[in-house]
Amino acid sequence: MMKIFLFFILAVALNAVEYAVIANKKLDNYSFSKAKIKMIFLKKHKILNGTELVPINLESANSIRNSFESNVLNMSKNRIKSFWTKEHYLGHRPPLSVKSSKSVLSFVRKIDGAIGYVLLSDADESVNVIYKWSE
Amino acid sequence: MYRFIYILLILAIIVQADENDDKYVLGEGYKLGSLPMYIGGYLSTDYQHNTDTKEDVFRVNDIAFLSYGSHSNFSYMAEIEFKELYVKAWGDHSKEELNSRLYIERFYVDYTLDEEYIFRLGKYNSPVGYWNLTPINVLRETTSSPSTNYIIYPKYTSGLDLMYSYYNGYELNVDLLLQNNEDLDAAYNNFITDKHFGFGIEFTDNDFSLKLNGGDFHLKEKILEYEDVYYALLSFKYDTERFKIMGELGTQFCETKSTVPYSGYLQGVYRITEKHLPVIRFESHNSDITNKLSPNIEKDDVLIMGYTYRPMYPVALKAEYQVHSVRRENKAVFSFSVLF
Repeated sequence: MMKIFLFFILAVALNAVEYAVIANKKLDNYSFSKAKIKMIFLKKHKILNGTELVPINLESANSIRNSFESNVLNMSKNRIKSFWTKEHYLGHRPPLSVKSSKSVLSFVRKIDGAIGYVLLSDADESVNVIYKWSE
Repeated sequence: MYRFIYILLILAIIVQADENDDKYVLGEGYKLGSLPMYIGGYLSTDYQHNTDTKEDVFRVNDIAFLSYGSHSNFSYMAEIEFKELYVKAWGDHSKEELNSRLYIERFYVDYTLDEEYIFRLGKYNSPVGYWNLTPINVLRETTSSPSTNYIIYPKYTSGLDLMYSYYNGYELNVDLLLQNNEDLDAAYNNFITDKHFGFGIEFTDNDFSLKLNGGDFHLKEKILEYEDVYYALLSFKYDTERFKIMGELGTQFCETKSTVPYSGYLQGVYRITEKHLPVIRFESHNSDITNKLSPNIEKDDVLIMGYTYRPMYPVALKAEYQVHSVRRENKAVFSFSVLF
């Protein structure tokens, strides 16, 4: 029975999808905790040593974004919506959205201070992986 | 006349904005072409039935327009508003009013110095407690606001706000408020002030936040025996996916006496789903002051039971019933509000 259980756990682990939060190479020297990444995507943390931080989202229905919101931001879609509605009243905007992981990679490569998220397998050496999670 | 020209201008901008490729999302405003500027607004209308006096009041309470944007380290916010645009009352105090004056609700510029410091100059919501940060009907949980929100401190400050933020797993926010001039548009401030010095220290760890505010202000219109008034307010909120609990407790005093010995509330909201939110609030205050937003308010305990239906987050249909221990203000309140 125990062997079957361990096999099941191993099978689930092997099938886990791995994701990465990526940053522009100019942010190489900084460490980013999960809490800090959350602050950046909620635009509470906007500047890092003089560099403007530019979070970039995938579109709302994207499965990678869904995983990012529930595992890194630890917030439901509804809570994020209510957060940005209140921020609209306060004069703040949500991060920009792009359609594909390819666009995220391109944006993060080109823009100083850009931070996005993709599948770990899509993150190449042109960007800096600052945080990983799996599901 | 200028009001109608302004409204025409707003509508023209909206039409132009609608032609942009950016998809409009209700509650997030319109982007103005390729400019880093956004416009939006909100509407609130309510109906009250006083079960003690049998009086009824219908109001188109708020129609407001927002404009904001940012460029480089600068950003701005402007909000103008029709207050109580239309009021119709039935009963002993029956009346019908149309108030078409536009008020400047907020108007400020922010300069972000670095990751820790922001300077704000202009007229802004005093960052005191939590209720006063997003005080409009559509964003709060009940149509009514607790007395703590209007008898302790000036709701608006016209001057400087120095903001300090520090993040390290937790958040620490500090505000220093400095006003040494008249209000930019005092008509709808609860206290008419020409000086306001205050501070706020807020600590946030995940879902829990705690905040302490204090300050003093100088009354331009003398409603107390002394013109210099001091206040302190302790507030907290615990906001999770399923429920939200918040509370504030404040006091106010002048040189000779305690003008508001205490005023506080405790409120709980349970999110059955994102659309259905029952709410309950208990308020208590003991006050020796009156101002135009709190006429004849002295000592009272209030229990408020309410229900909010949000077909989508920026739209709220609310119902509440208030039970007062002293004042003859037991009433049912209904409202419709939307942020666009």
